[in-house]
Amino acid sequence: MTPPTDILDYRTQSPEVSARFSKLKERPVVLSVKNLTKIFPSQNGDVTALNSIDFEVYRREFMCVIGPSGCGKSTLIRILAGLESETSGAVLLDGNPVAGPGPDRGMVFQSYTLFPWLTVKQNVLFGPKMAGQKGATVESEARQWIEMVGLSKFENSYPHQLSGGMKQRVAIARALANRPRILLMDEPFGALDAQTRCQMQSYLLKIWKNLDITILFITHDLDEATYLSDRILVLKANPGEVDEIIEVPVPRPRTVDQFVSPEFIATKHRIDELIHPKNKGGDDELHFPRMTKEGDDVE
Amino acid sequence: MSGSLKKAREPWFAVRRELSPQRSSVLTIVSFALPLLIWAAVSYLPFLWHPDVQLQLSANRADVSTVYVAGDRVSKSYFPEFQEAVRSQNEDLKKQLSSDDPLAGASESSVRRANKKVLRHLVPLLIQNKWIKDDQATDDEAIYHAWGELASSSRRLKSPSLSEENLAIVEDNWKAMSAIAPNYVSDNFVSTPLLSLIPQGKTSNPDYLPAPDQVLAAGVKVFSIPADGDRPSMVQRIGHSLQIVFGGFCLAALVGVPIGVVCGTYPFFSRLVEPFTDFFRYMPAPTFSTLLVAIFLANDAPKIALVFVGTFFQLVLVTANTTRRLDMPLLEAAQTLGASQRQLLTRVVVPGILPNLYDDLRILLGWAWTWLVIAELVGVKSGLTEFIETQGRFRNFDMVFPIIILIGLIGFFTDQILSLIKGLVFPYTEDGTKAASHPILKAVLFIPRLVLRLLTNRSASGTT
Ligand SMILES: Nc1ncnc2c1ncn2[C@@H]1O[C@H](COP(=O)(O)OP(=O)(O)OP(=O)(O)O)[C@@H](O)[C@H]1O
Ligand SMILES: [Mg+2]
Repeated sequence: MTPPTDILDYRTQSPEVSARFSKLKERPVVLSVKNLTKIFPSQNGDVTALNSIDFEVYRREFMCVIGPSGCGKSTLIRILAGLESETSGAVLLDGNPVAGPGPDRGMVFQSYTLFPWLTVKQNVLFGPKMAGQKGATVESEARQWIEMVGLSKFENSYPHQLSGGMKQRVAIARALANRPRILLMDEPFGALDAQTRCQMQSYLLKIWKNLDITILFITHDLDEATYLSDRILVLKANPGEVDEIIEVPVPRPRTVDQFVSPEFIATKHRIDELIHPKNKGGDDELHFPRMTKEGDDVE
Repeated sequence: MSGSLKKAREPWFAVRRELSPQRSSVLTIVSFALPLLIWAAVSYLPFLWHPDVQLQLSANRADVSTVYVAGDRVSKSYFPEFQEAVRSQNEDLKKQLSSDDPLAGASESSVRRANKKVLRHLVPLLIQNKWIKDDQATDDEAIYHAWGELASSSRRLKSPSLSEENLAIVEDNWKAMSAIAPNYVSDNFVSTPLLSLIPQGKTSNPDYLPAPDQVLAAGVKVFSIPADGDRPSMVQRIGHSLQIVFGGFCLAALVGVPIGVVCGTYPFFSRLVEPFTDFFRYMPAPTFSTLLVAIFLANDAPKIALVFVGTFFQLVLVTANTTRRLDMPLLEAAQTLGASQRQLLTRVVVPGILPNLYDDLRILLGWAWTWLVIAELVGVKSGLTEFIETQGRFRNFDMVFPIIILIGLIGFFTDQILSLIKGLVFPYTEDGTKAASHPILKAVLFIPRLVLRLLTNRSASGTT
């Protein structure tokens, strides 16, 4: 992808944009990751999945994590959720170190993880029930969450009666019903078709805007990252390290029309540069035998 | 134009392509009809197999000690030899009768006794033709009368009929008999030797393959025998067998499922329990039978224990594996939602594995069935197996087949019913959606559902 030459570098920010990000950084830090390293021991040598990762997420920020496949995105989010333990370093939530999974960090997985034996409402009530909450107020709150993701009609349906997008919406409602400090999402829309994914992104932005919630969102889709994020954490592979933290200059509220705005394209181009550095060479790098006859080309 | 849009015919054979419901039902019926058809063909078409001859009429051979009676089977190759031997015996007798010493030195009383036997050789034919009743097999007066009727051609045996050859012998004998007395008189009975009837028979299968109609008739008979003394009726026997299968199986499930779930959940218990269980299940359960009798003494306890031993170890391992197959992400999701270790077990693992566990138990119930016969042979024989054993020893295989088929049917229908109601027990599985629209279930559940709806409506209107 060659960028239009007249496009501005996303780093030459307008005064409004810089003002926005300095305001963001004045907010309290919800999640801070300090010098995080993860080494998987294995028979043929240890695999360093993450190498001294450092970053902070501010309150009500929407941050995306992007990087080439195998760079450790899932490993990172699983450590944050407490499902995996770090080799060294620390994860602080509101300044307190986290140990093990807990309801203060909600998680939405790429695979569908609704409990098949519970209805939509029972799924949403799962977290509160584990905390020993029950009664009419908890029930009506659960209904509100379901209404928020637009599934009121399905509150008594079982997961196998829902489409993929609906399942992920329930998963989001279920995670939010616990009132977590931060919502961790590992490619939650990865399995959905393009149209549904686009819808889900708008949904998520709406929910995020109306709630006091911080979101850390993993994706490998440049559009998705640019459309959703305040800032984008770009990781590089082998070992997984922070490459750059991009401050997205696209103003909010975001709309689909902005996909062709110069800021949007510039941001996408920058990410592309970071995660596919070799692709700059163009066609010369392809060593692929011609399988069609000369003169049979479409042009 | 529309002619070219003709729908392509679905092929009957396509790799992993589902057949239409109609075709599936047709094939299901054929799958049962085909074996039945083969059985009937082999039974009723003599040219297919029929290696034996079943005697309708037997005879005594003086030169052989083996005695065949009507109903016995002899091989096709032996039968002509048998007939030939009796014929030449008759030839010798004729020579002897025309000689100086027609009795050949035998006493008159012994010849009379032998003659009465010849007379009675006709009995099976007479009974089958309903000339005399079952209990008249030793009623010599009636038999004598029948001989007279046959000889004078006033009546004919129809099915089975008497061969021309034998009819001639009957006439010959009757001349000698009627010369002494027209009716049977025990003391005034012919004392010159009578000719022997030549064996008659029809081709048949060996006795271990009775024909469908015989099995059906035997089945009806078997079920109509009432209980008497210490001989239970067939229904009581079935009840007893069910008690042993389900007793052993339920005990195994009651103990085995919790152990299996714990093993599948905690690697600690898996390491502690499973290696030994894995070893133990290779020891065949029947080898424990004498031991079990020593421990549990008589009656049903050792039998139930044998079914238990045969199912339990398998059940623990299968349950543990099913538990381990539970989606890891479900457990992780539950943890991020704040579930404690104990809650993971009770709120996620247990409900999560139930549908698969249900299927496992269905399969293991099938296993338990296979132990039934061995279990019922332990200690004092009992139940259906005792009946099979007894009848089998007398070679009454037509009585054995209904019981074997019955055991199969009970097992088969139990499994079918369990699989049908799975959808009701677990409405959230794929089977659940299927079950909701199943015509049989709809019909069965109509009344309970109606009652349920009425009840919920009333309580709803009661609260508002
Ligand atoms: N349990 C594990 N044991 C050993 N190595 C692991 C384990 N989990 C992950 N890894 C390694 O860590 C690295 C990062 O994996 P991870 O799944 O976090 O990548 P990812 O960025 O999420 O990739 P993708 O975009 O394909 O999802 C990979 O090289 C992987 O092989
Ligand atoms: Mg991943």
